[in-house]
Amino acid sequence: MATEARERIEARRRLQRAETPLAVRDDSQDEMIVSFPEFVFKEFIASVAMTVFLLIVSIWLDAPLLNRANPGMTPNPSKAPWYFLGLQELLSRFPPLMAGVAFPTFVIVLMILLPYLDRNPSRRPAERKVAIILFTLYMLIAVALVLIGTFFRGEAWTWNWGLVLGSG
Amino acid sequence: MKVLGAAWDELYSVMAQMVQGLFRHGLPLTDKIAARTALTNFFLHIHPVRVRRSWIRMSYTLCLGGLSFFLFIVLTVTGLYLMFYYVPSVEHAYQDMYDLKFVVTFGGVIRNMHRWAAHAMVITVWLHVARVFYTGAYKKPREFNWAIGTTLLLITLLLSFTGYLLPWDQLSIWAITVGTNMARYAPIAGPYTRYLMLGGKVVGANALLRFYVAHVVGLPLVAFLLMVVHFWRVRKDGFSGGL
Repeated sequence: MATEARERIEARRRLQRAETPLAVRDDSQDEMIVSFPEFVFKEFIASVAMTVFLLIVSIWLDAPLLNRANPGMTPNPSKAPWYFLGLQELLSRFPPLMAGVAFPTFVIVLMILLPYLDRNPSRRPAERKVAIILFTLYMLIAVALVLIGTFFRGEAWTWNWGLVLGSG
Repeated sequence: MKVLGAAWDELYSVMAQMVQGLFRHGLPLTDKIAARTALTNFFLHIHPVRVRRSWIRMSYTLCLGGLSFFLFIVLTVTGLYLMFYYVPSVEHAYQDMYDLKFVVTFGGVIRNMHRWAAHAMVITVWLHVARVFYTGAYKKPREFNWAIGTTLLLITLLLSFTGYLLPWDQLSIWAITVGTNMARYAPIAGPYTRYLMLGGKVVGANALLRFYVAHVVGLPLVAFLLMVVHFWRVRKDGFSGGL
């Protein structure tokens, strides 16, 4: 029984390998190591480093706390959390239905469908230049919009260098 | 002296039995015992017992998925601490922030850690997505795990967003007002979605309670479940490793 099961597993592995011509290189000759303790130790070091980093930042930098919420006093400008500021920046440039609904929905659906749309079987960077260029462009635009929304938008969402240059 | 020696021997054997009950093997000095450690330890069983070196190269993974998970744990622990002192009501919420900062032992540092870890998690999750894209790891056979990952990214954003309201200061109430206003633009469903999120037409007491419940119970539970599936599938679909 045991050998039969082992053979079935081996056969399935062979099939999987044959069906996925994606591997950039054959790793079957790579050294096998025991995940404990070497791998676990790496994770441990990474988490300790992150904890120390967070502690230092938290001792130095206080989380913001403004005045008590006042529904009657709208600050100008009112800004969403930073990761939505790209969206808010788009909203100031395009009609709301497009920027507030169509764009984000499009991005999410595109992301989920990406593995089915990207028919290129290769994982080598040199063979997927178009995908890499498109994704990099998307990331750059997203980061630029967030930065603009965060640092370059002042009163009434007008362009303001003062937030960066400090002249206010 | 003889009695003392016998007592010591007895104590030693009881302690040895306790340790053996806890760890069913000796120190992991050889590969074989190390493998058995990973195999028999509940907290280590998330890893395969044996891995290829190329799968776990840090220059490939950049440790981003692991760091995101670790930040989730940090946020859970610091979040629990904050929950002891925070009441999600319009009367108390803001005052509780002050108490955390000036009265509660380590309250300020824990709140800061919760805040900065949340920002850090948004960043590490995004970078993890970018890493998976650039290495083409989302391709067959990992299409579905990529979809789970996308959902986890959205949940991370929602977790951060719902937490934003809780301090109940001018920053939170207006950020949530602006953020939920975006939902209003969706055709037909928009205004209803916003009403459902806020429990009203403006950000008030109902919104605070809804965001609190979503932030501390609903979203973390969904996130945890999806993370478990995400990690399980990493192993079942095979490590993408080596580039």
